[in-house]
Amino acid sequence: MDALRARSLSKVYDGRRGRVAALDHVDLDIRTGQLFGFLGRNGAGKTTFIKIASGLLIPTSGSVELFGVDVRTRVREVRERIAIVPQEGKPFYHLTPREHVEEYLLVRGASSETARDTTDRIVRAMGLTPYASTPAMFLSGGLQQRTLVAMVLASGAEFLFLDEPTLGMDPFARRQVWDVIRHAVRAGSTVLITTHYLDEAEQLTDELAVIEGGHVLYKGSAEALKSKVRREVRLHFDGGFSTQELTPFGEVYAERGGLTVMTTRSRVEELTRAALERRIAVTVGPVTLEEAFLTLVGRSIEEDEAEGGAT
Amino acid sequence: MSWRTQVRAVLRICWFNGFLGLARSPLVLVALFLTPVSFLFFIYVLAPRSELPFGVVGGILFSCLFTGTGMMNDCAYLRLERQLQQVFISSPLRPISWVLGMALSQLVFTVPALVLFLTVLLLVTPVSALSFLALLGLIVLAWLLSASLGFLLSTFFRTLREIWPIGMIVFTSLSVIPPVFYPLAAVPADFRWVAFLAPSTFASQLAAHAVGLPVASVPSVPFLSSPAGLVVGLVGLTVLFIGVAMRFARWREP
Repeated sequence: MDALRARSLSKVYDGRRGRVAALDHVDLDIRTGQLFGFLGRNGAGKTTFIKIASGLLIPTSGSVELFGVDVRTRVREVRERIAIVPQEGKPFYHLTPREHVEEYLLVRGASSETARDTTDRIVRAMGLTPYASTPAMFLSGGLQQRTLVAMVLASGAEFLFLDEPTLGMDPFARRQVWDVIRHAVRAGSTVLITTHYLDEAEQLTDELAVIEGGHVLYKGSAEALKSKVRREVRLHFDGGFSTQELTPFGEVYAERGGLTVMTTRSRVEELTRAALERRIAVTVGPVTLEEAFLTLVGRSIEEDEAEGGAT
Repeated sequence: MSWRTQVRAVLRICWFNGFLGLARSPLVLVALFLTPVSFLFFIYVLAPRSELPFGVVGGILFSCLFTGTGMMNDCAYLRLERQLQQVFISSPLRPISWVLGMALSQLVFTVPALVLFLTVLLLVTPVSALSFLALLGLIVLAWLLSASLGFLLSTFFRTLREIWPIGMIVFTSLSVIPPVFYPLAAVPADFRWVAFLAPSTFASQLAAHAVGLPVASVPSVPFLSSPAGLVVGLVGLTVLFIGVAMRFARWREP
C-alpha cells in the first residue's frame, strides 16, 4: 500500500515578479515503511511538497493522499498520523532537550510512563544525555537541531516528514540521527527526508526523487541514478590537462586544484595512459551520487535555459 | 485523541510555555507590571484620590488585555522564528487546543499583576463578594477576547518585524486611548459612543458597575448605559472575536 500518493500536485505563488510555479504537476508515490529521500537545489520545491503533504500549505491544484486519506479535505485525520521536522525549526529557548521530548509526547497523548521511557531512550540514542538538562538557549545550533529532531522521532508517528533534519550537525551527530531514523523505520514508520548531504541520501534512503524547478526529474534508487547519467567512473587529474582536452571524454569540472572528468569504463585506460605519459597523478573511482545529481540537475537547467533562449 | 487528552495537552502547553517560561525568565514579570503600575502612579500623584479606583480597575483590565499582545507576539514567534507551531499542529493535537494552551500560558504571565491589582482594589474601595466574582468573570471575558484577537493577528504576519508596530497600534487602541484608566465621564457626552468602538470600554464600564464606581451614561445609545446592555455587548464581542479567530486563523498557508 502507498503511504503517500501525490497526483498532478501543483503550487503557484503570486510574487512581485509574477506567478512562480514551486511545484508543477508532480506525481509521486511512497510505499509504506519506505525511507524516501527528496533531493533538489534550494527552491526546487522540496519544502513546498512537504508542507502540502503534511497539511500546512494548500496546493493550487492536484491531490495528495496519506494512507489513502485526502490531505486537503481530511487534514485532521492526517495530522493524527504524522510528525514533522520543519526546515530550520528551532526548539523553545527555555526548555531542556529532555523537557522538549517528554512534553511533546505528552501533548501528543502518550501516557506519562511511555513519555518518560521513550524520552530516556531517544535522549540516549541521539547523544543528548550530557545536555539533557541544559536549556536550549545554552546549546549550540547543532544540539538545538538534534533536540528538535529527537522530539519528532520520539513520536513514533506513522509518517515522519524530515525537512533537512541534520542541517548544521557534525558527522558523528548525523550518524546518530541516521541510526534513530533507521530504528523508526524498523518500528513501522514511513519517512520522507529532504537533504543536501548526498552521502546521507545514499546511505539512508531506499529510494529517492530528484526535483528541479517544481518537476520530478528522477525517481528510483541511488545506484540507478548513478547509472542513469551513463558515466560510471570518475578520474581526477592533479593538473596537466585542460578542460578542452578532457571534454570529449565526458563531463569535466574543477576540483581540489585539478580537473575531474566523469566518463565510461571504456575510456579509462586511454586517459590513465595519457596521464602517465605526462607524469601526472590520476585518481580513479566510481561516480558518486553527488556527481550524478549535479549532472542530472545540470542537464535540466541547460535544457531550460535552451528553451528559454529559443522562445 | 479524546477530549480528556486534549485538555491534558492544553494544560501541558500552559505548563511548559507559561509556568516554565515565567520561572526561567522572571524579568517578564517586571515588564508586565511596569506599564499599569506607572499609570497607577501618575493617577495617584496627579488625579484626585476619588479617581484612584479607576486606575486600579484600569490596571486589572490592562493586564488582561496585555495577554492579547503576549499571545500575538508569542504565537507569531513560535510560528515564524521557531516553526514550533507547525511541529505541534502536525500532530494529534487539535489546533484549538494549541491556541487554548497558548492563551492559558499568557494568563499565567498576567496572574501576578492581577493579584496585585485586585489586592490594591480591595484596599482602596469596598468590594462585595458578588462584585468580586463579577470582576473575575470580566477578567475571563477580557482574556478570551484579547487572546483570540492576538492569535488571529499573529497568523497574518510574514515577518516578526511587522508585529511590533501593529501590536503597538492595536494594543494602545484597546487599552490606553479608551476609558480604561480614566472614567467615561471625561469624554464629552455626545462622543461617548465612540469609546465603545474599543471592546475594552465595555469591560471597563462593567468593571466600574461591579465595584460601585460612578458610571457615565451614553445619551446617544442608551443601550450602552445599562449593565445588561454592556454584558450583552462584551459577551457578543468576545464570542465574535473567538469565532472570527477560529474561522479565519490561518492554520494552513493559502
